Formats: sequence, C-alpha cells, structure tokens
Amino acid sequence: MKRRIALGLLHSGSGSYALLSQASLIGARAAIAAVNADAAMPVHFTPVQRDPGGNADAYGPLCEEILRDSPARHVVGCVTSLSRKEVIPSLEKLGGTLWYPLPYEGFEASDRVVYTHACPNQHLLPLLDWALPAHGRRVYLTGSNYIWGWEINRLARMTIVQAGGAVLGERYLPIGAQDVERMIDEIRATCPDFVLNSLVGASSYAFLRAYHALGLTDPRFTPERCPMLSCNLTECELAPLGEAAEGLIAAGPYFRGSSGWPGAAEFGSSHEAASYAAVTELARLLAYHGAGSEDWPLAHLLAGAGGPIDPGTHHTRLPVIIAQVRDGAFKVIQHRGDVLGDPFLSRNLTTAALPLRVVS
Amino acid sequence: MKRQVRIQQLGGAQAVILHRPHLNVLALTRQLRAIGLVVDEAWPELGAQALAADFIFFDADMGYDGQFPWPAGDAPMPMIAMIGSEAPGRIEWSLQIGAHAQLLKPITGSGVYSAVLIARDAFDRQRALAAEIADLRRRLDERQTVVRAVMLLMQRSKSEAEAYGQLRQMAMAWQISFEDAALRVVARYAAEGGDDQRNRG
Repeated sequence: MKRRIALGLLHSGSGSYALLSQASLIGARAAIAAVNADAAMPVHFTPVQRDPGGNADAYGPLCEEILRDSPARHVVGCVTSLSRKEVIPSLEKLGGTLWYPLPYEGFEASDRVVYTHACPNQHLLPLLDWALPAHGRRVYLTGSNYIWGWEINRLARMTIVQAGGAVLGERYLPIGAQDVERMIDEIRATCPDFVLNSLVGASSYAFLRAYHALGLTDPRFTPERCPMLSCNLTECELAPLGEAAEGLIAAGPYFRGSSGWPGAAEFGSSHEAASYAAVTELARLLAYHGAGSEDWPLAHLLAGAGGPIDPGTHHTRLPVIIAQVRDGAFKVIQHRGDVLGDPFLSRNLTTAALPLRVVS
Repeated sequence: MKRQVRIQQLGGAQAVILHRPHLNVLALTRQLRAIGLVVDEAWPELGAQALAADFIFFDADMGYDGQFPWPAGDAPMPMIAMIGSEAPGRIEWSLQIGAHAQLLKPITGSGVYSAVLIARDAFDRQRALAAEIADLRRRLDERQTVVRAVMLLMQRSKSEAEAYGQLRQMAMAWQISFEDAALRVVARYAAEGGDDQRNRG
C-alpha cells in the first residue's frame, strides 16, 4: 500500500520564461508518474499545482496557498532567483521546503531550499576556465536586469580580470525587453573574443537572433571567431531560436545524450532532468525514512540518508559539461566530471576538477 | 570609489559564537558552516581560542563587558551582535563593545552572509582609518622637529623657502615622509656634535 503524499508544483504556464518553467514542469510530472507507477516505491505523489503566470510577485502568495490549503510540505518549482527569494518567507512561515531545479547565481543556502541544478562553480567558472584559454580574454557581458545577470557578470568580471583579461562592455535589459541594438552596436565596435549572455527568455531570443544576423554579414562575429556563451541556455529554448542557435556554447549538468547523469532516463533538457531528479530524490528520502517523514524538517530528511545532496549546503553533486549547438543539437565539447555545488565559492571545489595548466 | 567585497577568503575562516546553547546558535552554526566557516561555541566567556578567530558573534541580550579578553571597542577581529531585544540600552552596549554588524533573532539562514561581509568591511575600514589617524597624529607631533630641521638647513645660508625645499627633496630622495626626513636631519646634526639649540635667537 503506497503512502499518498501531496506535492506542490509552482510553475508558470505563461510569461517571458515560460519555456523554462514548462520544461521544469514536464520533468517533475514525468518523475511523479514514474514514482507512482513504481510498485517497489512506497510513495504516491498527488500534485497540487499553482500557476504564477510569470509574475514574480505571485509566487509567494501561491506557495503560501499550497502550504496552507493542502497537506503538501514540499514544493517543486520557481524559475528566476527573484521568485525563489519571494517564496522563502512563506516556506519559513509555514514550514515548507522548496526544491529549486534551475541554474542560479549561488550565494544562498537556505535551510528551506534544495538546489538541484548548477551554481557558479558548476557552470560559470568551468565555462570561463575553458573559454579564456580557448578563445581569448577580451569579453563582452550581457544580462537581464536582475540578480542572475548582475551576479553572474560580477563573478565573470572578477574571474576575467584576475586572469589578466578585460571586460569590453557590460549591458543589461529589463526582463522581457527586446531592444538589443545597443548591445549589438557595442559588440561590433569592441570586437571581443567572446560574449557571455546572461539574458533570459524573450530578451535572450531577440539578442541571439540579432547577433546571428550580424555574423551572417560580418565574419568577425561568427561562432568560430567570437562565440556566444551562456550558463542558462538549454535544449528547451532551441526551438524559438531556430538557425540562430547554431554555434551557441553553454555549460550545464546535462545535455541530451550526454553521459554521467544518474539513471537511464532521457530528458529534453537539464531543466527537465534536474526537476525529475528533485522529485525522485524526494521520493527516495521519504521511502528511506518511512511513514510521517513527509512532515519532517528538511535537515532531518537529508541527515544520514546519502544521495547527491550535500546536507550542509543543500546543493547537489552534478556533472559539469560544456557543449555547443551543432546541426541543431548540443554536442559535448568538454566533460569535466562530477562537482559538488559550492554556493559561496569557499571550498575551492572548481579547481579540484580542473586539469592543471600553465599560467602564462 | 567602487568598493569590492572580498568573497574568497571565507573558506576555512574561524567563527566563535558567544551565546548560551540555543536554537539560534544551531541555526547560525548551520548557516556559517554552509558558507564554509569553521564554528566554535563559547559561553559565558570567550576562551583563548577566540584570539585566533576571524569573526566573533556575540549575544547582545545577555552579554556583558567581562566576557571579552580585550578592552571594549578594541576587538582584533570583526564582531557581529545577535540582537533579540532592541532596547536602546542593549543596542548602546553592542555598539560600545564594538559591533560591526548585527543579526536579528530569531536567526534563520537569511542575513548571516551579508552580516559577515558587512562586518568584515566595517572592521577593515575602521582599522585602516585608525592607522591613518595614528600616522597623521605622529606627523603632527613632529611639527617641532620640522621647524628645527628647517632652521638647521637655514644655517647654511639659505632662505627659509630654500631650506624647506631642500628638506622636501631629501624626503623624496630617501622615499620617506617629510617628518621622517626632518628627524634624520636633526639626528645627523646631533651626531656631528652640533647643538642647534645654541644657534637659536
């Protein structure tokens, strides 16, 4: 007889970054179906779903609604860091846990949140470590005007300057804005070795299309000469980009067909994979600890249970992969093995996985 | 001026929490460890290990002067007050003892990282300012030496402006402060057996 356990799902079906939240929802739903169909698994999840519609201010109240009106203590969801920060007070107030399955900028370790996607020592730092020697140290930075863009670019700037490189420009757009001409003009004027793109959603699509168009008329801006790099681009956003996706380079824990992800399942993108992993890991913990553990505080649930989540930081051990879009699909350029998330960059975990190289 | 917060050297840094055993201490310890610090507890007094600590968190509610092995306001590391009661008297005591930042109880994960960075920055700035003030004060105290050095140089039939200019040249050549150059001039004259006092008036 399976224990029926309510599980909150907090995903936007519309808005600027709907593709990301839908990919996350697909992963979570698939995992719920797999858990429920698994006769050996003593847990059955009943989803309690809310749709904030891409409005950051709706996440907090809807998370509260799930925790207040249903028995669910665990919620999977949120896309932007803004929305995650909005739900943390609700989690603290009502004793809930958020399983956050998207890449983010680090510098957080809430005792109410589990982080199952990558943080900077698993995406940005390895990406720069690969790109600076491979392409050069003159870099242009873009980002959406909120914490993700700011913090990724701050870390990137620090890393680039420490490596003896230069940041030629740094420009931001409000979430959803598509006036990318100024960025394109500045890139054409400064001619960097590569561009780091931390725009999200519609802004990113507009920017990548415009940059692709620039590369068609000016050979200095082809993927070979001046590639476009990102820590948040996955397969789930390739469709709206079409041809413009060709040559894009991204860092992430999973790309379709890549190796190292636990389990045999295939996913559409790392957002799907990380959401799937969040739900299955929760099911494993609830099965491991037995009846009633769904109401335990997160610290008890994670203590002594093994698995890929660090009970100290609630961050996850993940593969670190750099891949490039070739013929419409990501191809792995470099697989750097598994690295534990180090949200405050205080454990030097990046360097452990790095090959030694001569410093010039 | 754009200020950059140092984020890198926190891994392995030592924190001591001066608070009686409490849930707030557990929550703070958990968060500090997540950030990468090594955590010790002490109550009611800071042990000897506190002198090696990089950060001290102290209870502002039940704390008192005698808990610290250094004079109030003179801690050799950043100090963070854990404040429950926001009574003016307690805030006053926290400031007097030398809080560089504060955390409000009940302590959860939020606020700990920023308190650590803000306390360290405030401590560094305070320390840099104190060093600068001490240096300026010392140089002020050497005003008399400067006057004496200029007068000694003037004995070699120079105008006051020329003697002053020569002293400046010496300081630049020796790469020391104006006041230290004056000290050297006076000392050299004394070593040569001269007594500049004699030439006064």
